[in-house]
Amino acid sequence: MRPFIFERATSPESAIAAFHADRATSFLAGGTTLLDLMKLDVVRPERVIDINALGANEIEISEDRLRLGASVRMADAEAQEELRRRVPMLTQSLALAASTQLRHMATLAGNVLQRTRCPYFRDVSWSACNKRLPGSGCAAMAGFNRQHAVLGASDACIATYPSDFAQALIALDATVDVVGRRGRRQLPFAKLHVPPGRTPEVETTLAPDELILGFEMPIEPWMSRSLYLKIRDRDSYEFALASAAVALEVDGGAVRQARIALGGVAAVPWRAREAEQALIGRVLDEASCQLAADIAFAKAQPREHNAYKPLLGRQTVARALLQAAAMEA
Amino acid sequence: MNEVSAVQFSPDTVSLTVNGTARAYRGDGLRRLADVLRDDFGLKGTKIGCNAGDCGACTVLMDGAQICACLVPVGQCDGAAITSVEGLGGASRLSDLQRSFLAHGAAQCGICTPGMLMAASDLLTRSSSPSRSEVEDALGGVLCRCTGYQKIVEAVLDVARPAHIVRDGNVGARAAKVDGPAKLMGTERYGADGIPADALYVRAIRSPHPCAKFAPGNLEAFVAARPGLVRALTARDVPFNAYGIYPNIKDQPVLADGLARYRGDPLVAFVGTREAIEAIRDEEVPITYEPLPAIVGVDAAKAASPLHAGRDQNVLADGGVTCGNIEIVFGSAAHVAEVEYETSFVEHAYIEPEAGWAERKGDTLEVHVSTQNPFQHRDDLAQILNLPKQAVRLISSAVGGGFGGKLDLNVHPLVALAAWLCDKPVGYIYTRPESMAASTKRHPARVKAKAACDASGKLSAFWSHAELDTGAYASWGPTVANRVPVHAPGPYIVPHAKTRGTAYFTNCPPSGAFRGFGVPQSAIASEAAMDTLADALGTDWLDFRRRNALKAGDKTITGQVLDDSVGIVETIDAVEPYWRTWNNAAAVFNAGSPRVQQGVGIACSWYGIGNTSLSNPSEMKIGIAPDGRITLYCGAVDIGQGSNTVLTQIAADTLGIAASDIKLVMGDTALTLDAGKTSASRQTFVTGKACELAALDLKAKLAQVKDRAALRNMPVDNHGDVLTGHGRFDPPTTMLDEKGQGVPYACYGFATQVALVQVDLDFGTTKVLKIAAAHDVGKAVNPQQVEGQIHGGTAQGIGLALMEEYIPGRTENLHDYLIPTFGDMPEMICRIIEAPTQHGPYGAKGVGEPALISTAPAIFGGIYRATGVRVTKIPVLPHRLRAAIRAKEGTR
Ligand SMILES: Cc1cc2nc3c(=O)[nH]c(=O)nc-3n(C[C@H](O)[C@H](O)[C@H](O)COP(=O)(O)OP(=O)(O)OC[C@H]3O[C@@H](n4cnc5c(N)ncnc54)[C@H](O)[C@@H]3O)c2cc1C
Ligand code: SF4
Ligand code: FES
Ligand code: FES
Repeated sequence: MRPFIFERATSPESAIAAFHADRATSFLAGGTTLLDLMKLDVVRPERVIDINALGANEIEISEDRLRLGASVRMADAEAQEELRRRVPMLTQSLALAASTQLRHMATLAGNVLQRTRCPYFRDVSWSACNKRLPGSGCAAMAGFNRQHAVLGASDACIATYPSDFAQALIALDATVDVVGRRGRRQLPFAKLHVPPGRTPEVETTLAPDELILGFEMPIEPWMSRSLYLKIRDRDSYEFALASAAVALEVDGGAVRQARIALGGVAAVPWRAREAEQALIGRVLDEASCQLAADIAFAKAQPREHNAYKPLLGRQTVARALLQAAAMEA
Repeated sequence: MNEVSAVQFSPDTVSLTVNGTARAYRGDGLRRLADVLRDDFGLKGTKIGCNAGDCGACTVLMDGAQICACLVPVGQCDGAAITSVEGLGGASRLSDLQRSFLAHGAAQCGICTPGMLMAASDLLTRSSSPSRSEVEDALGGVLCRCTGYQKIVEAVLDVARPAHIVRDGNVGARAAKVDGPAKLMGTERYGADGIPADALYVRAIRSPHPCAKFAPGNLEAFVAARPGLVRALTARDVPFNAYGIYPNIKDQPVLADGLARYRGDPLVAFVGTREAIEAIRDEEVPITYEPLPAIVGVDAAKAASPLHAGRDQNVLADGGVTCGNIEIVFGSAAHVAEVEYETSFVEHAYIEPEAGWAERKGDTLEVHVSTQNPFQHRDDLAQILNLPKQAVRLISSAVGGGFGGKLDLNVHPLVALAAWLCDKPVGYIYTRPESMAASTKRHPARVKAKAACDASGKLSAFWSHAELDTGAYASWGPTVANRVPVHAPGPYIVPHAKTRGTAYFTNCPPSGAFRGFGVPQSAIASEAAMDTLADALGTDWLDFRRRNALKAGDKTITGQVLDDSVGIVETIDAVEPYWRTWNNAAAVFNAGSPRVQQGVGIACSWYGIGNTSLSNPSEMKIGIAPDGRITLYCGAVDIGQGSNTVLTQIAADTLGIAASDIKLVMGDTALTLDAGKTSASRQTFVTGKACELAALDLKAKLAQVKDRAALRNMPVDNHGDVLTGHGRFDPPTTMLDEKGQGVPYACYGFATQVALVQVDLDFGTTKVLKIAAAHDVGKAVNPQQVEGQIHGGTAQGIGLALMEEYIPGRTENLHDYLIPTFGDMPEMICRIIEAPTQHGPYGAKGVGEPALISTAPAIFGGIYRATGVRVTKIPVLPHRLRAAIRAKEGTR
């Protein structure tokens, strides 16, 4: 690790003020991603601003809206009884992530901004990684890419976006509340992350001095018919090989609205909008669910070791839809 | 600029409460809480297994909630209340939770125990009588490699009505671990815990290439430019730069000399302050590389030029057994089954990374390390440093898990060399990635097997060949290559056999000793062949095995007549009820569940206790002081499996005294005699016998003394004892001839396991629901510990079967390399069978390794029954199983 300056901000303003564009600066929330990557020498901030004391701890649930502060701990959001009932997908995506200890520490904003688990990114002894060292190449492309993305990736980077919770946010049409030197703004969660393209080192549309303050989303009664299904190599404490966040509005047997987001298979939080469209007006059965699943992965681009992912992903989506269909809404 | 004023600057001082006491910390706010607790506050009970949030060993409570202390910067703890294991009970008192852990035998090596206890306390403050699944969830972030989690769950569930703690158990008692309280209070000292505060540290720079020529540049200038660095070490500084397990194969350098043979090979090392050596970035060290094509896999090895001089086709070892004439039998057999399996590198993943320190004392050297092999390591260090053996004293710390991985030298040569040259105490703690890159692995094996039976269902012939990837250095490769062919057919009567094991050098991590020495890999193939033969006959899998199982008086394929202790049939009988009930239940379940299917598998195994045909004596010494105090001088290292307790029980029982009256000195080459390695499941059997003999010897000597008062007037030796009992035992074996015929082991452990598994056909995910395990251990000196071994072995078997696959450079952490968690463990039923051997103490054999051999093949049988497919590349990860299921469904 390098020498750094460690500061603590007590308000969003002080955090932004402490930001020096001339020095590599990182905001520190729960630290479960940042400290890990610092120890691995993957990120090398010279200045770390602790934002745990700046507030943004609110969980506000009303009739039709939900606001989650950026600093809310995963465990605290997951424990909300009302949320569990009204938007099960959201709390499930948190409960199925990491471990109890980590969920006590990790924040919601930190979770959506966590970095990929690509082993070549996380191990600096590999010299080729465009995300870590722009222009150096991509060791995963010809290497061991079993975990890598089949959707939204590029020739420069095929890393998988790891968060579970983000899939619930994108499925729920959340917006992100952001503040920075140039003021405060709201943006759709779907616009927060950018696909790797030719610049995989750029992961979000946030300016370096911008802070996330919270997430907001409409909640509607039908969202109680939602769930998060996560398939992984071991039963707990592990990232997804494939996952699906689904929510369904069903009216007289036919689908009125569907939300489908995919984890473990894409380079960014992934909404399967065409698959959602294909379900509208249809009765949920094996055939329609399988069709939606096929559409969701129609453009999948597998590599040597992740050729199983489109198939596994399809099964995951189909199963999640069928399970949601069977729920008592 | 005034913007800084809006910010509270780097807290030079953090005020926090630790275990109820107010503490102040001054310094870098980004240091991790775990380091501050351990190094600044001296609270070594908090363990560090990964420094990455992956293992949970560092779990403490922060304002009542469990967190990973390794990922919390101390600057975030201002005003917080921290509770660590030291705050649970007290300096000498155990809390109810700790008592329950002790009573249940929930701690084996104990390295995960503080984390488990803290996670459990977090749960118990929220819910005083949690359910099993709540316990599994709450503790799910702490990994344990020893216990299979069963006894931990039971201990937490039982806190309210604590089970009785048996303190003075004789042979056969469920005695609490003699070292249990220290492990539970966090006072046990592991490899990293004793490093003096003023020690320097050493760190190796390891090869990022699997094969490369390299040349160090100007390291002196590099050192001079960095304050805190003391010196660099290269191959030239090592007096005798080669070590290895075998007297005639010393092929592994302490620091590579110009050629790196695997990714992780140590090239140069630096000595300095801890901060200074941690600040070194590998890529900044002046080393030039010329990468060479790497040999990956045994096929490449056969074709490549030798990695070590004189090793034609890169063959390290080639062992085999031949009896009868298989060709004739295969030609005329009623049924023949042929299988082929390929397994992966498997990492030991003990939760304690390698650690230790050394100190020069004039012309002698004291080395403190976490080791399974103190005497050989002392001898190796003496050779490496060109010192007489007596000049090196090796003292084993408590060992936080070994499983074979701490049988090889690890930190020792570099701490020894650095301490010797710098004349300062020098420590070394591997990081988790370094531990995984540098340490030995289970041999990947490609096992081909062919078995035949006659029309009546009697096995008639068996052929197999295991090709083993032994990696860059010999390590234990020859042992594995020799043990596999002896065990290859499994515990059955096979009149005609030809078996072979060949180990090849490659540019992969050295494959060494790992619980079972290759037998788990080969059992996967042989047991699949048994299933296939039974199916061809239309016979029940269990009946087929029972019909062919070895019985007393039968001959093994090495020609050994088993004249005592063959418990295999009893183990089959013991699991039969589960086999029948679960098969029926699975059939009912499957009828109502088209896409999720259950299946039941069964596997038998055997395992020769002790070294294969090699002398492996243990010597023990028990002394009595003038005041009548008894000391057990025990050269055997307890790596969590419980030899400290078992040997104390044997000594106590034989001497007719209470176990608590025995003081134990463990693994110190200056004080104890050589009790060999903690390997080959030999400590209870071999050292246990030596211990019994020592106790008998002391008893006989005491009988000569008129009364206890007379002891007071007798002269004391340099340990302060007046009388000493000696015991030595070397199991009777013979060399194997060129056809592999002879008596390789004095006795064998036997086992049968049945597994009920459930497979999701769409996802390819497998869940092991239940395992029934029956093990013939000769005599269970401590049944609780036997169960602990079976649980832990089974967990490792599940890992081997379903998830563990080490890929050099890609899985060097406990997150990409997956070991089973609480949620992966099935309900377990243990049945202990006692078919005593005349050779062992009180009839005892061994169980450490047998515990794991049957698990994977039983699971694969279950998967086959559930899906109709056999995946031949192990582990059976979901994508592999799904591909196989699809291939089958596609052709249907
Ligand atoms: C062993 C392990 C297992 C895990 N398993 C899972 C899993 O299964 N599923 C899953 O989804 N996740 C998993 N995670 C990831 C974990 O959830 C994230 O590490 C965590 O959520 C990050 O939150 P944090 O508060 O600790 O972030 P930090 O580490 O503090 O920050 C992460 C990043 O976000 C930035 N940041 C944080 N807050 C803000 C803000 N308000 N505004 C702007 N930038 C900000 C930081 O600068 C940093 O770059 C796992 C992590 C570990 C270590
Ligand atoms: S996939 Fe992306 S993160 Fe991984 S090595 Fe390639 S560029 Fe780096
Ligand atoms: S040491 Fe903290 S989680 Fe492993
Ligand atoms: S007792 Fe849990 S790791 Fe050893």
